[in-house]
Amino acid sequence: MTDTSTTTAPAVRLVGIGKRFPGVIANDDVNIEVARGSIHAIVGENGAGKSTLMKILYGVQKPDAGTVEIDGAQVDLSSPADAIKAGVGMVFQHFMLADNLTVLENVVLGAERLHGIGAKAREEILRISDAYGLDIRPDQLVEALGVGDRQRVEILKVLYRGARTIILDEPTAVLVPQEVDELFGNLRELKSEGLAVIFISHKLDEVLSVADVVTVMRRGTTVDTVDPSSVNAHQLAELMVGSELPSPSTESSTVTDEVLISVNHLTLPSPDGRPLVDDVSFTIHRGEVLGIAGVEGNGQSELVEAIMGMLPRATGVVEVDGRDVSGLSTRHRREAGIGYIPADRHRHGLLLDAPLWENRVLGHQTRTPAAKGIFIDKGASRADTERIIEEYDVRTPGPDVLARALSGGNQQKLIVGREMSGDPILLIAAHPTRGVDVGAQAAIWDHIKDARRLGLAVLLISADLDELIGLSDRIQVILRGRLVGEFDPGHVTPEQLGSAMTGAGDKA
Amino acid sequence: MTKTAAFFSAAALLLSACGGNGGDTGNGNNGNDGEAAQSDIKVGMAYDVGGRGDQSFNDAAAKGMDQAVEEFGMESQESEAADGEPESAREERLRTFADAGYNPIIAVGFAYSGAVAKVAPDYPDVHFAIIDDEGAQGDNIANLVFAEEQGSFLVGAAAALESKNGHVGFIGGVEVPLIQKFEAGFVAGAEEVNPDIKIEKTYLTQAPDFSGFNDPAKGKTAAQGMFDAGADVVYHAAGGSGGGLFEAAAESGNWAIGVDSDQYELADESVRDSILTSMLKNVDVAVYEFLAEVEGGTFPSGSVRYDLEADGVGYSTSGDFLSQETIDKMEEYKEQIISGDITVSAEP
Amino acid sequence: MTPRMTRVLLSVAAPVLALVAAFAITSAVLLVAGDPAGEVWATILSWPEPRNLVNIVNSATVLYLSGLAVAVGFRMNLFNIGVDGQYRIAAFVAAVVAGEAWLPGPLNAVLAILAAILVGAAWAGIAGLLRATRGVSEVISTIMLNFISTSIVAYSLRQVAVREEGSNIIGTKPIPESSRIPGFSISSEVSTDVYGFLLIAVLAGVGYWVALNRTRFGFDLRATGQSQTAAVASGVNVKKMTVTAMLVSGGLAGLVGLPILFGNAYSYGSTFQSGLGFAGIAIALLGRNHPIGIALGALLFAFLDEQSNPLQILVDVSPDIVKITQGIIVLTVVISYEVVRRYGQRLEQRQVAQALESSDNTKAEVRA
Repeated sequence: MTDTSTTTAPAVRLVGIGKRFPGVIANDDVNIEVARGSIHAIVGENGAGKSTLMKILYGVQKPDAGTVEIDGAQVDLSSPADAIKAGVGMVFQHFMLADNLTVLENVVLGAERLHGIGAKAREEILRISDAYGLDIRPDQLVEALGVGDRQRVEILKVLYRGARTIILDEPTAVLVPQEVDELFGNLRELKSEGLAVIFISHKLDEVLSVADVVTVMRRGTTVDTVDPSSVNAHQLAELMVGSELPSPSTESSTVTDEVLISVNHLTLPSPDGRPLVDDVSFTIHRGEVLGIAGVEGNGQSELVEAIMGMLPRATGVVEVDGRDVSGLSTRHRREAGIGYIPADRHRHGLLLDAPLWENRVLGHQTRTPAAKGIFIDKGASRADTERIIEEYDVRTPGPDVLARALSGGNQQKLIVGREMSGDPILLIAAHPTRGVDVGAQAAIWDHIKDARRLGLAVLLISADLDELIGLSDRIQVILRGRLVGEFDPGHVTPEQLGSAMTGAGDKA
Repeated sequence: MTKTAAFFSAAALLLSACGGNGGDTGNGNNGNDGEAAQSDIKVGMAYDVGGRGDQSFNDAAAKGMDQAVEEFGMESQESEAADGEPESAREERLRTFADAGYNPIIAVGFAYSGAVAKVAPDYPDVHFAIIDDEGAQGDNIANLVFAEEQGSFLVGAAAALESKNGHVGFIGGVEVPLIQKFEAGFVAGAEEVNPDIKIEKTYLTQAPDFSGFNDPAKGKTAAQGMFDAGADVVYHAAGGSGGGLFEAAAESGNWAIGVDSDQYELADESVRDSILTSMLKNVDVAVYEFLAEVEGGTFPSGSVRYDLEADGVGYSTSGDFLSQETIDKMEEYKEQIISGDITVSAEP
Repeated sequence: MTPRMTRVLLSVAAPVLALVAAFAITSAVLLVAGDPAGEVWATILSWPEPRNLVNIVNSATVLYLSGLAVAVGFRMNLFNIGVDGQYRIAAFVAAVVAGEAWLPGPLNAVLAILAAILVGAAWAGIAGLLRATRGVSEVISTIMLNFISTSIVAYSLRQVAVREEGSNIIGTKPIPESSRIPGFSISSEVSTDVYGFLLIAVLAGVGYWVALNRTRFGFDLRATGQSQTAAVASGVNVKKMTVTAMLVSGGLAGLVGLPILFGNAYSYGSTFQSGLGFAGIAIALLGRNHPIGIALGALLFAFLDEQSNPLQILVDVSPDIVKITQGIIVLTVVISYEVVRRYGQRLEQRQVAQALESSDNTKAEVRA
């Protein structure tokens, strides 16, 4: 393990990398040097060129200009296989694991030639797991694993294939603070074993706490490389966007006495006995944002879908402005005034291959301006899409563009605009700023605050505790399908919330 | 009979090989015998699905044409139907022949009934022949039909005479009137010999599902059922499905009776010793005779019935499995049918 | 170029690309086999005689309806492999109803057509219900229903069949003259008429387009096809849509055999055309589920079928070569659509990025 650390060649050196698509410069004169045995963070807004750069380094795309050197040798990466051969591995934001296979099977899948699929492979997995403190049991089924465990499996997959340089694309987006700490522990372990870690993130506090070097990208180019001990988050943010970063600060309370939403004894039985949503009751007042905090997979999505009427097996009562909607279909609940920003906008929120105006119609098929009798009113829908594009600052050439062509942030702004049309009473926002850039994030926060000011009841589900604390009037913690504690966002820290979410610390 | 059959199939093979390499002009099969007379007659042959090489009906027609082509030095061209083609495709096939100067044009199989009826009036100078159909009538249409019931009567009698259990069977490919003629003749023949005989009857599929003509697995299952029930001679009129019957007969040590051609000659070595006899339907004879008349300058029209008397149907003795007494008895019946002493109904 | 124009151009590019590839591959097959490729194409691509034109239009009418029926399912990601069984059982029932002539003249035809639609819809609806209530893949159930349909029709045909004197063809009672749908003649020298049912097929195409692209129902259907999860979240009852889509698809399938029944055969018998449902799958793929695309696809297939018929007689090449061409067309179409789709996507993303960049620049300038 020490042979490479004695050499002075950097693990990765990118010199003058340029990549242009017609009319768009994705990367321009990018220069980065990643030292072996270090954690090197790359930060920047969405669209700043980070992912293009990583694709180049991982062999998915070839640069138009510049050179890639790995361990001092210039390489020509034309496929991920080349990159793996050169010792570069990548852990994607969305895990690529087969749920119904074991950890061992997932790890050896596609790499059967290295150590076979049997005892030798298991030995190797255990060896890597021990060497880097990954704590992996090879025979567990992946479906039984939590998010953090899955991420470690992904890291192990990369190491198993012989990677000496590991790229992690927004690894903390799906983790709770405790898991983030564990991950950072793992990363430091990797670093101490002489590996190079490239860490892409939005979350500047995390970057500052774990990285040895931070490179900031803006508009396709590297604007600065800084030592994290010499900057603070605000300075980094300024480097990223060129202006002051907005924060999700609460404004003066708009909460009223009037109960708009009441959920009583909502339960979703599951086939294996333990309910996925277990006797959940809460109310939301006019002008109030209720935040739900929880580790992913503790019933948040089921809770939301039960309120939306998408899960027919759910029992309990949901009232919207005094009207019992429990027996209604999803469509009728939407008509009764529920707007819904789904957690996974690609799966639940958009028709990616349909134009924006059709996406405006989605969820509003039965209401004006989208519908006229049994027909879809294309003219009015397009006009209203133009309105949303204008009011919500959706960056698009027009309403006829396919949703797929927009960036995540703009897709999300379109969804927010759509769900705010049709005078909703309740707005359910599940992870509304996940995977969107800083600019869009601020805009979406503003829109949620606007909704609250307009007198809507807002149910906010988020894994971003800063966001929850900043926007909510009250926070409920969900654990194994039950609401286990209520917090005042004015007096709670992310760490306290994190403890409640994992069922560790004291219950409030 | 069997010798000529063997000769003709060899000739057919040879000629079809020539046809495959046919020239660009599409003149097809000229007689390869330089000394043969040169006729200026161009024969167009429109096959049913399967075409030349189906080892059954279409092949028999091809054999008759090949013989005439060789003997008279005619020119010939052929075209076969595609599975699932529209009615208009059959019409178009006939029209293409007529437009290209082919005369006469022979349509093989009753599926061409409607097409011949429709196209023939548009080409009054072209002569058409259709096999197995009397529905399309016209001055320039010859309907070549067969007395399958008469041939089936004889093998029915043979089955009853050779059966030890007094129990025989009939497997029809598809239940259509044509195949019912086979059944009717077979039953009548068997009951003529033994009024108390037990006869199993089944059809593999119902029209318009014609898979019963080409499903040996179904044929085998049906035959096994009959043998298990005690039958020891089973006759089939099921085209390619008959192969299943032969297998079942060979495996259980019972007799099978073939159909259309002398199947002893065509069937696989391993099963031929189970083929007691075959009911011959001499489509080749009908085609050849039609062409011979055309060559002679007369164009037959209307129904021409190929029965026992005309040697249009008959039976084979390849393998010598029929006892002399049985053959004598069959010949006796044959005389009686020809003389009109026995009338065989075509409907069961 | 507007995004819309780009999209239209791209959607034309795909089939053109596919056709060129298919013709090239077929030519290669011909050359390898030593057949005269030039003469084959000269025969196939010659301008058809008037009567061939009529045949092409008639075949295309039938194929078009089949393609539409399949396309309805495709738009919802449902693979209705059962159009074959649906049209046969529907055509049979229509033939029986029309043959019995319970109502006089044209009313009888209307009744028979309605019966065909209902039977086709019901037959497909079984698969829809199984999918919605039991999660049975419609691919499997429709294939099985094809077999059952074949057997039911065969069994029932025997019960009701009448036989024409001297013919070996059995069929249902012929439809009375007054209930047949008259065709229209395109030329005095052609004895075959263009099916009157062509008009109904055109109406079906227009109806298909309006229903899918302009109505709430069509929106729900397409949304479900594009993303079932997003459709559910938007309030679409996917189970209900599954059954409805299968009913519509089956209803259209019920029409497939009727042009032949009312315009040519006048009875359902042993020689009624088979295999039309499977051709419809290829044509729906080729036509990209668009009513005009399907029409072009149906015409192309009908054209190839018709023009290949004389190949064996005139050029001594088996018409099966055209089946190869058709098969390759379907394959290359699927591939080229995917290639063009990805290209179009990238193009659009670039255009969006470009548009935004320029607007950002103007904003920046304004700020400055």
